[in-house]
Amino acid sequence: MSKAMIRWLLGIFLTGMVLISIACQKENPNMLTSELLPLEGNPLIQFKILIKIGSANDPAGKEGLTQLTLSMLANGGTKTMTTEEIAKAFYPMAASVSVQVDKEMSVFSGTIHRDNLEKYYAIFKEMLLNPGFREDDFNRLKTNQLDFLSKTIINNMDEQFGKEILSLMLYEGRPYQQIPAGSVETVSGITLDDVKALYKEQMVQGNITVGLAGGYPADFPAKVVTDFSVLPQSFTPRLSLPAQRPRQGLQFIIADKQTPATAISMGFPVSLSRSSKDFFALWIAGSHFGEHRQHVSLLFQKIREQRGQNYGDYAYIEHFIQGRDKFPSTNYCRQQQYFSIWIRPLANSNRHFVIRQALLELKRLVEEGISEERFEMVRTYLLNYTKLYAQTLNERLGWQMDSHYYGYKDFLAEVQARLPKITREDINRAIKKYLNFENVYIAVITQDGESLKKALVENAVSPITYANPDMPKAVLDEDKIIESYPLQVKTENVKVIPASEFFKKPGLPD
Amino acid sequence: MLRFISLGLALFLVLAFPYPLQSSEVFPHNYKIEELENGLKVVSVPLPNPNIISYYTVVRSGSRNEVEPGKSGFAHFFEHIMFKGTKKVPRAAYDDFLTRLGAGTNGFTTDDFTCYFTVFAGRENLAKVVETEADRFINLYYDEEMLKTEAPVIEGEYYASVSNPGRKLEEILRDAAFTAHSYKHTTLGYLKDILDMPNQFEYSQLYKKRFYAPDNSILLVVGDFDHNQLMEYVRKYYSSWERSNYTLVTPTEPPQKEAKRVDYPWPSRTLPRLAIGFHGPAFSDEIIDKPALDLLAKIAFSPSSPLYQKLVLKEQKCLTLGASFDDSRDPSLLTLTSIIKKEEDLPYVEEEIFKELDRLKTELVSPELLAEVKSNLKYSLAEELGTTDGVAGVLAFYLNLTADPGTLNRLFGLYEKVTPEDVQAMAKKYFVKTSSTVATLSEGKTQ
Repeated sequence: MSKAMIRWLLGIFLTGMVLISIACQKENPNMLTSELLPLEGNPLIQFKILIKIGSANDPAGKEGLTQLTLSMLANGGTKTMTTEEIAKAFYPMAASVSVQVDKEMSVFSGTIHRDNLEKYYAIFKEMLLNPGFREDDFNRLKTNQLDFLSKTIINNMDEQFGKEILSLMLYEGRPYQQIPAGSVETVSGITLDDVKALYKEQMVQGNITVGLAGGYPADFPAKVVTDFSVLPQSFTPRLSLPAQRPRQGLQFIIADKQTPATAISMGFPVSLSRSSKDFFALWIAGSHFGEHRQHVSLLFQKIREQRGQNYGDYAYIEHFIQGRDKFPSTNYCRQQQYFSIWIRPLANSNRHFVIRQALLELKRLVEEGISEERFEMVRTYLLNYTKLYAQTLNERLGWQMDSHYYGYKDFLAEVQARLPKITREDINRAIKKYLNFENVYIAVITQDGESLKKALVENAVSPITYANPDMPKAVLDEDKIIESYPLQVKTENVKVIPASEFFKKPGLPD
Repeated sequence: MLRFISLGLALFLVLAFPYPLQSSEVFPHNYKIEELENGLKVVSVPLPNPNIISYYTVVRSGSRNEVEPGKSGFAHFFEHIMFKGTKKVPRAAYDDFLTRLGAGTNGFTTDDFTCYFTVFAGRENLAKVVETEADRFINLYYDEEMLKTEAPVIEGEYYASVSNPGRKLEEILRDAAFTAHSYKHTTLGYLKDILDMPNQFEYSQLYKKRFYAPDNSILLVVGDFDHNQLMEYVRKYYSSWERSNYTLVTPTEPPQKEAKRVDYPWPSRTLPRLAIGFHGPAFSDEIIDKPALDLLAKIAFSPSSPLYQKLVLKEQKCLTLGASFDDSRDPSLLTLTSIIKKEEDLPYVEEEIFKELDRLKTELVSPELLAEVKSNLKYSLAEELGTTDGVAGVLAFYLNLTADPGTLNRLFGLYEKVTPEDVQAMAKKYFVKTSSTVATLSEGKTQ
């Protein structure tokens, strides 16, 4: 028997042992789990080490700690190598380790060519299992996090700023509310000992899923699982989240700053997730109403295509982060979800009109549902478009992991099986059950916020102006309806807050 | 007469084939190039997995082509117009087709070219995609009202980036560094020109006639299809597209005679930013200058470089430090950028960058370091080529430059040949203080 054959058989044996051991461990929440996607012959290998904790696990008063701790692992040194040495070692391999922190889930990712697998993994493993926790790395990463909170998000990325204000509103006083970076006050108070303590408490086997995809050797998963099994056997129970906020009419927060353009995000909690039976029906409704960066989106058609107001207008029935190209990113699984509308920046002069327009379209969706023609078209669209979701190793492994989180063997296969069975009535029933237009949280980044508040509260008519003097009559006729569409906005439900006040402390500014 | 070139390798290699990364043959896939009588080049890269096709049209017109005053941003604007449909397939029907196809579709504009892509599942849809795309490029139809409605969308796109200081820094750096060439402005263009776009209907027709022609375009198809079948469809639907025969003359940028400096006061809080631009050469897969400078930029400013380690990791003066040097058709800027943590450190970081450039002129880089950078470039490319769409995305850029996927192997062949002496020679030749432009952006002092 050749050496290669022995290695191959040994690999099969070890993989089998790992799978058996993982299967046996399934009932034991204290033990490590793994997700494997072997693709023989693929020259690349994808690592994903999923940690089932996120910013919602931050201790009170330490908001931002999870992100800083995990960032120390991905961007700091190990016990034996400094950050500088790791950067030098990774460079010839074009390698890196990235970290993504969400509310209840975080993930370390890296892609490597199989020529460099052993060299890369030797360092990758040390970064997660034997971090250096050096003072200089801590100071560097803490300063970066503070700069992000005090300067960058408020002043350099208005669209993201709007989404984070919406999160503060949706989850006020709840574990999901805070941006993962935390707040200036709490991050300032974090010490290196806090970081070490969180690592010790949370980097435990039961919190971790080791993910591998691509052309790794057959015996490699067993090696990784053995290595990560040095972590303590323990787990953090999934958070028991409080009930979502009650419905409270139209609530506005206007972040006031000097800007020529207004960014708007609006939404409300929904009581379903990808696990829910109704998810697929509501998903078609969401795609019809506002598919991310696609012409099929009704909001896109109405606000951008017909009226040229901005670059795009979208809606989502769950938390959405754009990944490669325009496809959804993976590993942002959550127990609680929200519906949202994202209006991309537009001229300040038309902000009131577009807020009205988005809410009026939402009202029409809730009251009228989806037409038979649109239902059939959007369903066909989703059946085909989702075939493009999982192309890279990172995406394929990510979707596999997320499928399991929500209780599916293969969520994308489930899409192909379930969508054809959905009826228009299913969708319209789901729309009525989960969506509404009267209780919406609305975050607006704009200048002269007081004048917008006044206009909103007074229900002032908000006509729109166009560069094109010959706009189609149908559009102008509809504009007349939109410009005076009454919104029930109480003065106490509109807060104008200077942009610079956000993220100083946890939660919304006073 | 059709010109047929087959540059296939002996083996038909698929995505999963182990790349011979030890050699300079970095592009591992079989491909074919054909040219129709009207000048349209068709590059096909059939890959047997995984039932996905990436269909790209590269129009070799970008902001480089905006040589007339008042027309900055026009290539990008026209990219938007290209989605307006035809008389045969009006906009609504075009959207309907793409929607049912479930295609990932969009366009993007760069300095040198505008690219349209449709990524879809199922080879049975290829014929219809070829027919619809050919119709759009040959028979695009829009009226003045449609143009006037689309123009403010560009204004909205400008607003979407208005809070990003990186965009502003790039805008002021280019504007200062170039005096004649159209690389002076960004692809988005100047705001004053964007605001005038509703009045440019007539020019838009001229623009289309000049640049949206088969002799200025390349069709790139990658994925799960049969080449001969593809060509049958392409000949059927694209042959009636008429040549333009237009020759663009881009102004020659005169040599920069003295160092320039420009500062921008950001209206609110921000980390200060620094960009230093040097005039460099255009892309070439024959002359060593550009590849040698690519390597030099990585040696001096990548995360493993001494300067990065000093300024970002040890002294922690900078949040980021990096270099960018696009492969472009005309000589463009090699730009060194940094986000700095404290405004008072701006002069220090600038001084350190210039000191590092001077050091490269006097000291030879180590052969080991050079080999590491070459290795990095190969493995980075291998990862980019990991999917069907990754292959198409990489090729689109290089096809714009040379209309030949073989340019990738020639470029990496040149990388292999670069010596420490070449790097030093390029540092001396291009990092000349009088050829530099320094742009800074920091919290507004004028407030």
